[in-house]
Amino acid sequence: MNDAAAWPAALRFLHWLSAVLVVASLGLGVIMVQFTHDTAARFELTQTHKSIGVAVLAFTIVRLCVRALTSAPKPEPTAPLLQLAAKTAHIALYVLVLVMPLSGWLMVTTTPVRIPTVAFGLFPLPYPFAPNLPFYRAAHTVHVAAAIALTALVTVHVAAALVHTFIWRDQTLARMWRIGRADRT
Amino acid sequence: MQNNLNNWGMGMFRDPALVPLPYTRFGRPVALLMLALAVSIGPRAPTAATVAAQAWRIDEARTSIGFTINAAGYPTTRGHFRHFSGRIVIDFEHPAKSFTNFTVQADSIDAGSPAFDDFIKSALLLNAEKFPTLSFTSTHVEKVDARIAQITGDLTMLGVTKPITLTVNVDPEGSAKGRAVAFVATGTIVRSQFGMIFGIPLIDDALGITVKTRALSDE
Repeated sequence: MNDAAAWPAALRFLHWLSAVLVVASLGLGVIMVQFTHDTAARFELTQTHKSIGVAVLAFTIVRLCVRALTSAPKPEPTAPLLQLAAKTAHIALYVLVLVMPLSGWLMVTTTPVRIPTVAFGLFPLPYPFAPNLPFYRAAHTVHVAAAIALTALVTVHVAAALVHTFIWRDQTLARMWRIGRADRT
Repeated sequence: MQNNLNNWGMGMFRDPALVPLPYTRFGRPVALLMLALAVSIGPRAPTAATVAAQAWRIDEARTSIGFTINAAGYPTTRGHFRHFSGRIVIDFEHPAKSFTNFTVQADSIDAGSPAFDDFIKSALLLNAEKFPTLSFTSTHVEKVDARIAQITGDLTMLGVTKPITLTVNVDPEGSAKGRAVAFVATGTIVRSQFGMIFGIPLIDDALGITVKTRALSDE
């Protein structure tokens, strides 16, 4: 049994960094596709969106490695069904946070409009596949569906954290935010 | 002469070897006469047939060379070239003798943002480094009606030259003979004909071009 009260500092940092990047990237994705009616502005926003996506992918890989190598704190006691739901949701979040940048990468690789991706203006993202319109359309569908699913799941995730904090008054959010109760005693 | 090289006073203007061309040692009135003769009997001298064909100045402030292109799921992309040069020769009596050419600098493209411009200038599209200019030279001008002409000419883009046809709205301004003529030329370029195949079919093969210009005459 693991008695650690809080998440390791590296995972806490990566969690909040991912939160900022994922929300920024989802918001930017919607703004650039739905609300930008100027090609030049859309081009610039898309370049930023792709750079953020590269960062999400890189930090998520690092995060999963750290997660595998460190021990997670024991969950706060809740009903077994809720614990299972939480576990499933967390796995789904990891999967979607990987599917988003990977399907985006597949899109920019297989699209006939093959605009180079230079992540944050620093290095070019390799394009491993040839342009292929059906592949691009499939990747696009996955990217949009995953974005909708991720938005829904992030909402549930935030709602659950708020319920833990303000209704059940446990340490679930606190130990992702700062050193937990047990560490201070 | 030797003395004058060191003399930057008014004396130098009297040295026939140093004065500008019209002020020859024959004296100013003679020079002006010769200039007038050169103009009237020179190779470009007006004869009955060519007197109406005259080169006009291009009003650069009122000239724009722009394009529009559509892409699936994208707003229409618009851009223009900031640097260009051109010539317009108009013959109202014999429209077929009118002539025009325009050259634009590929790296002067302005499509709304520096990053987007750089992308358009890249080897995927305009390849501005290898092909620094795009040009159009008219080969045939045909009057359709009082206000409309068709200009066929050679467009050179990415080093490939192909004919295109532009429809020109002609709007003479000013006095009876016209001191200025406004033109709006529109046409379509099928870019794959010039080897520009990037993004097809998501980005249209055909792009629209619009050249607005105004020609001025001193006469």
